[in-house]
Amino acid sequence: MKLLRLFGAIFSLSLKRELTFRAEFIFQVLLTATAIIAGIATLGIVYTQTTMLGGWSLGEATTLLGTFQVVSGILSTFIEPNLTWFTSQVKNGKLDAILLQPVPSIFLASLGSCAPLGLGEVALGAILVLIGLYEVGKVPTATGILGWLVMVAVGIVITWASRMLLASLAFWAPSVELDVLYQALWQCGRYPVSIYRQPIRFALTYMLPVAFISTIPASMLIHGTDLLQIVTGPIVGAGAIIVVQSVWNAGLRRYTSATS
Amino acid sequence: MHLLRLLAVSIKRQFLEWMGWRAFLITLVVNQTVAPLLGLAVWSVALPGSTQIPTYYMALLIVQLMTVSYEQHTFSNGLYDGTLSHELLKPQPVVIGLLGTNIAARLLHVLIGLPIILIVGAITSISFAPVAPRFIVGVLLAIPAVLLAAILRFLFMYLLALSAFWTERAHGVAGFGETLAFLLGGSAAPIPLFPQSIRPLGELLPFRYMLGFPAEIASGSLNEVLQGYGYQVCWIGVFALAAIFAWRAGLRRFMAVGG
Repeated sequence: MKLLRLFGAIFSLSLKRELTFRAEFIFQVLLTATAIIAGIATLGIVYTQTTMLGGWSLGEATTLLGTFQVVSGILSTFIEPNLTWFTSQVKNGKLDAILLQPVPSIFLASLGSCAPLGLGEVALGAILVLIGLYEVGKVPTATGILGWLVMVAVGIVITWASRMLLASLAFWAPSVELDVLYQALWQCGRYPVSIYRQPIRFALTYMLPVAFISTIPASMLIHGTDLLQIVTGPIVGAGAIIVVQSVWNAGLRRYTSATS
Repeated sequence: MHLLRLLAVSIKRQFLEWMGWRAFLITLVVNQTVAPLLGLAVWSVALPGSTQIPTYYMALLIVQLMTVSYEQHTFSNGLYDGTLSHELLKPQPVVIGLLGTNIAARLLHVLIGLPIILIVGAITSISFAPVAPRFIVGVLLAIPAVLLAAILRFLFMYLLALSAFWTERAHGVAGFGETLAFLLGGSAAPIPLFPQSIRPLGELLPFRYMLGFPAEIASGSLNEVLQGYGYQVCWIGVFALAAIFAWRAGLRRFMAVGG
């Protein structure tokens, strides 16, 4: 409860700070919109040459792209501002400031500040999901919507967990910077995993959880809820949280702070 | 001659400096390969059986690595933290240092990217045999196109980076330019596969001539090659003039920060 209140306070502070710079705000919205339009245009060009891509029609792929943008927006709003270049915090000892606060360090380290402008991407992504559904011409069932919401939530938790695991790597190998790599692989979520060949598809589903952020939620919305997945999804999410928690604690035991 | 020697020294120094960031460089290289590889995956599924698509995207991957440009980092950041003043005091044009950094980065990108190129080539099992003579001609004709594309992409990114004289958001401006280059340069989709209505636009704008054009030649589209070279030269002229103008105008605004 206390964490939720704190989270709310962090969010409103960040929002006030960002709204101070109006020009920046408009510029960011324009940039996000361009990136999303480029994504749609790419899909549009691909579908002038084919009607199906890995078993997905244009409308279905649009829904998937929208879902991808929703989760991407959450990532860039709440998680990236804290964990980008996290390695340098460990190297120069700035992590001390987080450890000294009377709040769980894992919370402050991963959610201690945010960039509310990223929510624009979430909104545009949601619009894209609706456009995709309209294109498909099928009204999703109530359970389909519920399944989408649950799986998007699971996708966000898994995203947070994988990003945290990557950041925790800094405790063991401070010279390795994989932020750029993570963002690069993240882009694989733009398309259904069925377009990738087998070893890569397996890796994107089970090792790097790219399938969880777009393919699985979108297919729930389109084809209805898969009972097995909706039960196992939250279990996987809960497992991810436990793993991150224990890795983080083990990492903190190695953290020696820096001099001065 | 003197300038060339300065450039050679600069490339060598920057090459060694980049080598100190090997681990980070590898992640940069992987990042650069993502767009062409995603294109390869998507288009191989969309047009199964096409022999041109794998060759095109392999060539695009190589072009992407050979023309990589990070002027928004190497130039704009130096302007923001005031270290540009050090460069201005050196008895050489500032752009020589930037060119050295740029060329060193490209050399290292190709070197580090080589295993990726070989692996992808092996997986997609591109067969050159049936088209061998045509393929060799294509590669030979693609070489000047790659060189011109390298110059053009540097000038384009340099011009965007120069916006740092006027705005704090040079990184955003550069990101915008990169999105356009991705969409209209042949990375999202090869320009010949664009719908009829927007294809002339893609052929007119400069982005195709930074990326897609050399890859198209290498994959065997040998029509209107000369016209393409012509476009490249024209756009290089335009961007070179714009960059010179922007540099002069910007320098008058520049006030070194810090101490």
